[in-house]
Amino acid sequence: HPQLNTCLLLSLCNVTGLGEPRGLTLNPDLPAQTLSLAWQSDSTLFDLEIFHTEFMNVVLNVIQADPVTGLHSWTWHSPLPLECTSHSVRIRARNQQSVSQWSPLQTIPGWDIPEKSYMFPEDKMIPVGSNMTFCCIVNEKEDFKEIKYGRQEMKATRLSRRSYAITVTNQPASDNTGTNVICSSQKFQMLTGTVVFVGYPPGDEGLVCETRDLASAECSWKKGRDTHLRIKQSLTNYTLNGRDCLEANERKTWCSSKMWEENWTLEARNPLGTVQLTDSAQLTDRGIHLLAPVNVAAVKVEAWSATLQWSWSVAAYKKLEMVCQLRLFAHELSSTRNYDGPGLSSVVLEGLWPDVDYTVTLRCGSKHSFWKWGDESAPYRIHTKMDRPDALDVWMWMDSSNTGHVFWKPLSVRKSHGALNGYEVSQSSAEEDGRNTVSLPPGNFSYPILLNNSSDVTVAVAARNPAGLSQPSTVTTPAYRADSQLSVSELLGTNGSFVLSWEPNVSASSGYVVEWFPTGCTGLCPIDWKKLPESDRSFTVNSDSLVAGVRYTVSVYSLYTSAPTLLQRWQGYSQEMIPSQSVSELSLNQTGSDVLLSWKATEMKQQRGFIRGYTIYLASAAHLDLIANITDPAVQSYRVKGLTLSSYKFVVKAYTSAGEDAGATVAIKMEMDTDMLFVGILVPLGIMFCCIILFSIFFYKKREWVKKAFYPEIPGPKVSGDWSSPRGPLDVKPSPHSLVHIVKNPEWDFTKEGLFPVPEEEEESENDNMEVDTDSDEPALLRYYNQVVGDGSHSNQVSDSSASSTASMGSTQTEITYAGIQSPSSSQGAYSGGGYRPQMQSVTGPAEPQIEFEADFQDDGLNAGYKPQCSWQLDSPEAENFSGSLGSPTSVTSSQFLIPESSEEKPQPSNTWFHNFLSGKS
Amino acid sequence: MAGRGTNGRHGSRGHAGRTAALARLLHKECIQLLELYRNSESLPSSPVDGGYLVSIPPLVPQLSDAEKISILHAALKECLRLLEDVITREDAEFSDEDSEYKRKWKTVRDRLGHLLASTEQLLVEGQKFEAKVKEELDGQAVSGSFRLKMWIVRVLQDLVHWTGQTSDTLRSLPAEVEKAPKTMSRRTRRGAEKIRK
Repeated sequence: HPQLNTCLLLSLCNVTGLGEPRGLTLNPDLPAQTLSLAWQSDSTLFDLEIFHTEFMNVVLNVIQADPVTGLHSWTWHSPLPLECTSHSVRIRARNQQSVSQWSPLQTIPGWDIPEKSYMFPEDKMIPVGSNMTFCCIVNEKEDFKEIKYGRQEMKATRLSRRSYAITVTNQPASDNTGTNVICSSQKFQMLTGTVVFVGYPPGDEGLVCETRDLASAECSWKKGRDTHLRIKQSLTNYTLNGRDCLEANERKTWCSSKMWEENWTLEARNPLGTVQLTDSAQLTDRGIHLLAPVNVAAVKVEAWSATLQWSWSVAAYKKLEMVCQLRLFAHELSSTRNYDGPGLSSVVLEGLWPDVDYTVTLRCGSKHSFWKWGDESAPYRIHTKMDRPDALDVWMWMDSSNTGHVFWKPLSVRKSHGALNGYEVSQSSAEEDGRNTVSLPPGNFSYPILLNNSSDVTVAVAARNPAGLSQPSTVTTPAYRADSQLSVSELLGTNGSFVLSWEPNVSASSGYVVEWFPTGCTGLCPIDWKKLPESDRSFTVNSDSLVAGVRYTVSVYSLYTSAPTLLQRWQGYSQEMIPSQSVSELSLNQTGSDVLLSWKATEMKQQRGFIRGYTIYLASAAHLDLIANITDPAVQSYRVKGLTLSSYKFVVKAYTSAGEDAGATVAIKMEMDTDMLFVGILVPLGIMFCCIILFSIFFYKKREWVKKAFYPEIPGPKVSGDWSSPRGPLDVKPSPHSLVHIVKNPEWDFTKEGLFPVPEEEEESENDNMEVDTDSDEPALLRYYNQVVGDGSHSNQVSDSSASSTASMGSTQTEITYAGIQSPSSSQGAYSGGGYRPQMQSVTGPAEPQIEFEADFQDDGLNAGYKPQCSWQLDSPEAENFSGSLGSPTSVTSSQFLIPESSEEKPQPSNTWFHNFLSGKS
Repeated sequence: MAGRGTNGRHGSRGHAGRTAALARLLHKECIQLLELYRNSESLPSSPVDGGYLVSIPPLVPQLSDAEKISILHAALKECLRLLEDVITREDAEFSDEDSEYKRKWKTVRDRLGHLLASTEQLLVEGQKFEAKVKEELDGQAVSGSFRLKMWIVRVLQDLVHWTGQTSDTLRSLPAEVEKAPKTMSRRTRRGAEKIRK
């Protein structure tokens, strides 16, 4: 077992004697974990050994000499609680290298006796970060298992047979009830245990002492760091100047003293330490914290003032030079007033407003060496009396030469001095005696004026409340001046306001009035005005009283004893906006290719700014094309010139300095004039007719040239010999690329007369023939029997055979024509089809070729000469089938060039009037 | 007595049911309280050695339910005394800080008082039992905060045990209560007299 060996060797030095030390006594202090030793000896140098008795572990070899005094007692601080195991001590004297006998072992017994289980130390309080050794003594019947510090299992060492120890370093602060250290055995999870309290010494700070009654003291401080010590005996105790401060605890950090002392010392103490806080101050210099005034009351309340009184609960205050702060709250407004004086107990509050609810609070402090404001009194309510209203601000506005309104502004709470009962309006003129007075309820702010004659009328208006009638405000009717009679200037707004200035007027002895209202307004208009002193030359009409996009008429009047005189008038917008409405009555009128657009400006209310001009756009599907910008707003028409026949859409927009309006749209479909229509149709017709005539004459005159150029004469074929009696084979040398391979068709009747090919060497195989076709320059001779086929047989074949075979077999002309130019595929097709097939019928239906064939046959019968089997029909669909053979050396498709002129006795169907025309035939 | 026996039988069955429910609820709360305490003190969950603090005569089958209730009532009474003692000691030892654990303490104490008052009505008149506490805090060899904590655990263990016993017994009561004798049988009385003071 690892063991905690705490063996100490102490050497105390002296120079004389080697007698064995005697009377060694041990005095343990268990809570302090100290062991005091005392002995008797003549020597002054000693060796001292301390063992853990059971295992007799020794061990510390430190020799400490004190040659002067020589100590016969010594105190040892054990890192281990002395209860954990028995400790034995022995001592011997030393003189240089010689030593005496060891004294007998003295032992202090530990608690590791068989009966019970224990754990040490108990309920220790130590600072955070300390190291500590705990031991667990296991009773006889138990087997030690482990020691846990809180929830942490620790490594234990064995001190004796039944004692085990752990050492915990750098301990953290404990929870509320300390940190549990639990020893468990194999049998019990909680065999025994102990609690350690790890915390901090007091951390209080900031002691401040003051007096409330000029005699006693109250000291307060701030709680510092949490000590983490919750056990009652470890809570912080406080003393103030040595006297226990019982009222102070973890939450209450103040302490009182019956007498003021200049120096104050607060001592905060807990088992882990002590902290001292000090404060010093003369009572007169600092420290007077007055109590709140009591019995606050208003003894005299007027409309404009009130007298407030209060008393003090401390008699000593009556002679104290103090300053009091009075705070007034009314309608969310507050004001603070300070008063001073010895033992202040009443003040007169001046400058109050009539008929206002005030709430007053009061607090005071020492005037000399002001320390802090005392406690504040409870709020006190004062309601001032009413007073007569202030004079009204009156103005008269004429909307015609003999009608107008007198206006007055409502009085604010500060000016009405009490709820108004109403107004009194009295009217007088120079020509009439007496006054005509009317009373109006409080909601009225205007009264109509009617002038019966030309003399000026003076109107006086006064407000009434329960306290009385205000001073009357008078105004004399100003002369009516229509805008048309004046040169009204244009006024531009500046940041939503009107900045006005005017030339001084000598007659304005009573100042000026600036008046503004929406232009064009009649009747009960929102007239606003401002009276200015005669010294003013300028004024700014704030944006608060102006509406953007509304035109205002602003006038300046000079005031004199008589009627106000108009000095200047403007019209303007505080802030221009784009017109709210487009131009009206937009119309257009077409004149030829021109269009005249005309419109009217929108009404002034909708203009919302001075119209600076108009823009005209041509609207297309996607965008607007600007075609004109009229910068003169007086011009309200525009001519669009040179339009072609089409549909157009025009958009006209008025614009102010803020921009264009949405625009008005008008559309037109341009129509042609009837005269122009007539000219436009007839002239091209005439020209075309003339051209046709001229061309006809020209081509007729030059028909020979045209014929040569476009339709030259084609010489007919020269046929030699007699084609009429050929009763023998006809040898034809086909072109090298046009070998006609005649397949013997079992169904073919060769006994009948007809044209059929005969191979030159019958014994040659087909393969040989193919070689000849491809390799030999000399084409193989084909032998035909020119047999005349009878009509009946021909018609029979037509009816019996397929269309293709019929076409090829039915025509004597075609039998030599197209066999060689068949493509290989066509040839193979012919094989597969069971016989020779001319290519021209390959795609045609059976009926049509039959008709054609009959026509050709009739011609052949008449002409009795050679002709290709195909008539010249360029437009015929079968012509496309010839494309493969056109250009071939053996192609004879261009049959028209092979037709002799003599054979043209009966024209082909293709010979039209144009052909005749070119030939000069009619 | 006769009147109570007649009227109280029907009434006591309903009352016994409510008392049983109260005991069951209290039993659960005692378990929660013990758990809370162990968690807050980082203590192992195994029971503290030493057996139950409160001792009563064995609840042998020969005892009637009414007698069992009387005996358990005496045990619960001792539990309440121990619980109040614990609260006093804790307040004296540690600063009075509010916590869920402390609130639960007070809830259990109040409910235990109600259970005692409720079971009181189920007791047969004239029967009086007293339970004993084997071990008091002041008599323990180990001193200090740890001993107090262990003692608190033991009190809580007792509370859990005896409220559980009471709850079980009360649950079986309605079938038996009508047969409950007005007076104890001779044999039972002799057995009980052993613990009477």
